[in-house]
Amino acid sequence: MSESTVCQAGVEQDAMVQNPDPLVLAFCCNWCAYTAADLAGTSRLQYPPFVRIVRFMCTGMIHPNLIIDALTKGADGVIVCGCHPGDCHYIEGNVRMKSRAEAIELMLEDFGLEPERFRLEWVGASEGVKFAHVMRDMTRQIQDLPPSPYRTD
Amino acid sequence: MPVKVVEDWLNACSGCEISILNIGDPLLDLLPNLEFVHMTALVDHKFYGQLGEKPVTEMEIPEATVGIVSGGVRNEEQKHELEQIRKHVKVLIALGSCATYGGIPAHANMWKNDEVFEKINRHCSSTTPAPDQQDLNVPPWIPTCTAVDEVVNVDIRIPGCPPHPDWIVEALTAVLNGQTSWSLPERSVCDTCPVIREQKSGGGAVKRCFENLEFNPEEGLDKMRCINEQGVLCLGPVTLAGCAGKSGVPRCIQARTPCRGCFGPIRKGARPMVDMMGSLTSVGLDPKTVVDRRAIMNRYIGGHGFLTPLPARPAR
Repeated sequence: MSESTVCQAGVEQDAMVQNPDPLVLAFCCNWCAYTAADLAGTSRLQYPPFVRIVRFMCTGMIHPNLIIDALTKGADGVIVCGCHPGDCHYIEGNVRMKSRAEAIELMLEDFGLEPERFRLEWVGASEGVKFAHVMRDMTRQIQDLPPSPYRTD
Repeated sequence: MPVKVVEDWLNACSGCEISILNIGDPLLDLLPNLEFVHMTALVDHKFYGQLGEKPVTEMEIPEATVGIVSGGVRNEEQKHELEQIRKHVKVLIALGSCATYGGIPAHANMWKNDEVFEKINRHCSSTTPAPDQQDLNVPPWIPTCTAVDEVVNVDIRIPGCPPHPDWIVEALTAVLNGQTSWSLPERSVCDTCPVIREQKSGGGAVKRCFENLEFNPEEGLDKMRCINEQGVLCLGPVTLAGCAGKSGVPRCIQARTPCRGCFGPIRKGARPMVDMMGSLTSVGLDPKTVVDRRAIMNRYIGGHGFLTPLPARPAR
């Protein structure tokens, strides 16, 4: 997909996707992914406006409850972004998140949600371009799904 | 003047009533202050409306101060009975995990009512033809198997399968002293468990609860390794403490078998399955290997929407 079509996703492409106006939460770790988001912003890189970023000190502190809660209270998708393995500011927080992510993927089924609604990505502090790309990709993936069954609006 | 008590069992097995009888010595101190005016499981008390006779249209439950209800609500008859009890008592106590959370019968909530009925009453190999669902003599099911507080207001909840007599005494004493609320302290089974914890396991697959644990029967529990860390699924981390009463080691752990979660979630609104899966991964076990996780981790708490038929996914 070319850059321009994604950036206009909110306007002309509405009829093409199942969920034109999704709510995507991005849980970002302070040290890598949030800094990358900052870099993406200062570099004027574009990504869809449907992503809401929540800053955490480390992905290792993101309890599965937070993700399941977000998804069962109406978020269409949740993406967790942390440091690359080995780069964690707290040594191994991201490794913990990785093992939790497996459990979360399993539980999505128990809550009647598609596996595509949750994703874990590693985004380094200097990877502003990757951050914007990942957000575009995730948003597109969520837009191609029907709105979350838990969404109330 | 003794306080009048109405006791009734709904979708229940009578284990909670046995637990009342099992109070022992403290029951002798309590009894002079209690007058059981209605207790279908233990006392032969006929009441009008029980069989739907005319012209009575409502079940006649005697007036009382305290109402104790065991069992969840499965059908219209139980729902009506419960509503009548609520009308006639001042303080309502939900006794046991079925009344508090839905209990074992609420596993049926994983399927639609029709599916359950068809399976149980038509298609089991051991089934002989049962009355039709539409039969007027069979009370129709309500949409889901619910806990008591999903139908009426509940003042006091005493969870447990069965609830420990200590807590029944404590709750009843609180009510006799004029209180209208009482609850168990918010502690987990692990908080009261003496086993050795090292915060990590050998990794690998999660074993089912009937697999053997490693321990020396000559030694006490404080020499045994944590059951979860031995790789066997134990619901202790996400279960309310109290199964051994006011003191002592959780009962299943005493028997060297894993906790099954009968006291329900530690806090209102907690999601034991999500917490437990997180807990398993943090000791390094493989969450994929938990067998039947949805049912196992919601074993006693199928009410309150914890267990529902999964929404049909659109074919893609």
